[in-house]
Amino acid sequence: MKPVGEFIRLVKCMLKPLSSDHWSYEMAAHLLNRAGFGGPPSDVEKLANLNHDQAVAALLDYELIPDETPDPDWARPDPERLQKLRDINQHGTAEEKKAAQQAENKLQNLWMVELRGWWLQRMARGPRPLQEKMVLFWHGHFATSAEKVREAYYMWRQNELFRRLATGNWEQLLGDAGKDPAMLIWLDQAQSNKQHPNENFAREVMELFALGEGHYTEHDIGEGARALTGWSLDRLNQKYVYRPQLHDHGEKTFLGRTGDLDGDDVIARIVAQPQAARFITAKLWNFFAGQYPTDELNTALAGVFRANGNNFKPFLRVLFRSEEFYAADIVRNQVKSPVQWLIGSVRMLECDLPPTLVSYGMLRQLGQDLFAPPNVKGWDGGITWITTNTLLARYNDAEALVQGTLPPLTANDFAKKPGGAGGDKVMKALQRVRMGGVNLEKILTPEERNSKDTLVASLQHRLLQSALRGDQEQALHGFLDSKTRLNDADILTAIRLVMSTPEYQVT
Amino acid sequence: MKNEITLQTRREFLRTTVLGSALSWTVPAFLANTLTALQSEAADSATQIVTGKDATILVVLQMAGGNDGLNTVVPYADDFYHNARPKIGLSAQLVLNLNGAVGFHGAMKGFKELYDAGNLAVVQGVGYPNPNRSHFRSTEIWQTASDSDQIEKYGWLGRYFDSACSGADPTVGVTIGNQLPEAFFARTPKGVCFNNPQNYRFMSNGGATEESYKKLNELEMSSPTPDGGPGMTPDENSGGTISSLAAGMPMQGGSAVDFITRTALDAQMSSDQVRNIAARVQNQAVYPGSQLGNSLKLVAKLIGGGLPTRIYYVSQGGYDTHTNQLGTQQRLLGDLADSTKAFVDDMKAQGNMPRVLVMTFSEFGRRVSENANGGTDHGAAAPMFIVGNKVKAGLLGKYPSLAPQDLYQGDIKYNVDFRNVYASVLESWLKTKSAPILGRQFEPLPIV
Repeated sequence: MKPVGEFIRLVKCMLKPLSSDHWSYEMAAHLLNRAGFGGPPSDVEKLANLNHDQAVAALLDYELIPDETPDPDWARPDPERLQKLRDINQHGTAEEKKAAQQAENKLQNLWMVELRGWWLQRMARGPRPLQEKMVLFWHGHFATSAEKVREAYYMWRQNELFRRLATGNWEQLLGDAGKDPAMLIWLDQAQSNKQHPNENFAREVMELFALGEGHYTEHDIGEGARALTGWSLDRLNQKYVYRPQLHDHGEKTFLGRTGDLDGDDVIARIVAQPQAARFITAKLWNFFAGQYPTDELNTALAGVFRANGNNFKPFLRVLFRSEEFYAADIVRNQVKSPVQWLIGSVRMLECDLPPTLVSYGMLRQLGQDLFAPPNVKGWDGGITWITTNTLLARYNDAEALVQGTLPPLTANDFAKKPGGAGGDKVMKALQRVRMGGVNLEKILTPEERNSKDTLVASLQHRLLQSALRGDQEQALHGFLDSKTRLNDADILTAIRLVMSTPEYQVT
Repeated sequence: MKNEITLQTRREFLRTTVLGSALSWTVPAFLANTLTALQSEAADSATQIVTGKDATILVVLQMAGGNDGLNTVVPYADDFYHNARPKIGLSAQLVLNLNGAVGFHGAMKGFKELYDAGNLAVVQGVGYPNPNRSHFRSTEIWQTASDSDQIEKYGWLGRYFDSACSGADPTVGVTIGNQLPEAFFARTPKGVCFNNPQNYRFMSNGGATEESYKKLNELEMSSPTPDGGPGMTPDENSGGTISSLAAGMPMQGGSAVDFITRTALDAQMSSDQVRNIAARVQNQAVYPGSQLGNSLKLVAKLIGGGLPTRIYYVSQGGYDTHTNQLGTQQRLLGDLADSTKAFVDDMKAQGNMPRVLVMTFSEFGRRVSENANGGTDHGAAAPMFIVGNKVKAGLLGKYPSLAPQDLYQGDIKYNVDFRNVYASVLESWLKTKSAPILGRQFEPLPIV
């Protein structure tokens, strides 16, 4: 431990804005990569030509940019369909029940694939990259899986909640996330009542969402679960409902406060803990900067967050302006998540997102199946994205993106469970899918396509925003030199080779 | 000759000695280069420390979907069983009798043969406290070995890799399939997975592309190395840890790129190894043409080819038999028994049977009473099977009572916590302490 005076002095010196002479093309690229999903040189230049404040505002004040993405057409409550299912389940024969369930599963699977495509498209082509990046953060944070929720409408709704409150107020987001139908199912709050309070949500809201272990007691969990009773789900109309008859009106003591507390009190009490600000700001720093903050930095981050009323937008403005965010060990030292890898690649290559089935298969193969995180803790991230097989898969998927061929996916990549069935039909559908590939005329000038030196420089600038090591650059030259004259196929292979380096896997 | 180490040896050496342990990618490049100049004899000894070619091997076989244990190891002489299952209960003629009270499902001839040969143990009534009936959650509990109200980030095999296999070859854990099971999740990711060895490689038309890929994924080659001084010799007992190697040398912060570079080397090497073995080794038994059969066939080749793997993971799906269970389970259990038997035959022919242990599990058993659709719903405890040369063959533990007053919400109660089984396998078979891996001490059972 450092002496207190020293600690305070360190904290006070932190989060100063980056000086204007350090703002550059490289720093603009860093901002765009982390606050969004990266982009082609023209996008980076646009940011670099603004001053730093304006550049951050261009990403963060996204309400000023219209986003007219239409909702999926099934994204609405559907009591009629659910009533029919209920009737069959109550009165139907075994065959009818089975048929109805199969039809329902098929429909849900189809919608879930559509939903993935809908969101990926927003990340790849939507006008508000930072908003979508925050939706991705909140999805990983609240880590709700369609495998248990089994209703695409709920998953979409939760995704929209994250979008609506992406940079909003923490207490409101935490409360709304708790009352969100997908969450009510995911952590069993929908089954809780005063006779049998279910502790799942009460536990995880403190352990995983807002405080972290060691900042509450088992007693708080039990009392919190009692207070949360009454938060329930109207399964027919597909929305949150408060059911007073399920609520425990007795006296509870939760995180030091006593009374007939309810769920809103629980959320307010949690967010009021000083630890709450430390916890969520540390997690956000890790998401954007790629490593957990030191104690001093965390104190400074939490201070900014609380001083701004637990609102994320002003907090993020300070974060993206800070010197610390542009430090040498932060820039280009974060392992790309599979989503960042895929979306970033199509943005940098200015090509189309692969058809949804292909994107879905790639992301599953690379370890980030959207709407199906591995568990309540979400994705571990960082170096755990990289294993020998996910790395080779990235290298091979790069070939598919660049050349416009199908990636080496197998039925297993689409199976619902390990060793399970379900992949064969998808494989058939895949055979009809067409990939786009990279259009070289769009991303390279005639000069770049004719001169090896210019080409190698241009590719590094576009894909890495920094240089490869000398020996790697030599290897790339060696490849091009083995060709007598540069044709498009060779240039595409060179692009794939740059993407098949350790350096391309970080951002 | 001592200074002329082949490229292959150099890579292996770097991987296992310097770049293998948890902190490995923090090693400065110049130090790594120094080590390339060390003697090849040292390199060879270093590669053998963690995973030697004679080490024991565990094959984990997941029966996904929740296998109905009652119709697998059938208590055919129990009236409670037949009362609860008027339609799908199996009579004495349909089972392979074991002890006059219970018997294997009739499709499991392969298991009966293994049982009679003293190679198969049945651990009866395995489960855990406060059972969860969700596939998703219960699978997670088995994979992470957590209590049912605790969420664990890492898998039990991942924690084994973290605690016992630092510095090991990446192929220390191999999953046949396309996704790593949660059991493999680890602080330092380890283990490879592939379904088809042909896909586990950098795909290209070879030639200049392949060559350039290899060069782009090399460690930095830089200036001549400084003379080896004190602290530069690998500690032969530890396999050479960073701290001992780098004693007295300035450490740089580890970068993400360094970590990925190491993984890229691992990927190149293991992909070559795996494809080489798959093409070279011949199976010496006839397997069913099922997915499980193919998986075990591949595992057998990899074992025969000497891959330094401690854990193989294979799975078989389809056990979620809510409707018309009889036909489905007949097919699956037949496949399970035949595939396993073929695998054992193959191992015996290879002479590797003494090194191999197979352990099955399923996320839960099923309800005692059949449902209206000729099937069974999600339940709790079920048997596990352990196959090997040195198992305490026979029926272990007590068969859970089916008397209605002994059931909990229609399910049999477990007699053995699955973590006691894991503890036995970890301690008696993999020869490692189980408490750090399972979170606390579970008493090992006399299984192996």
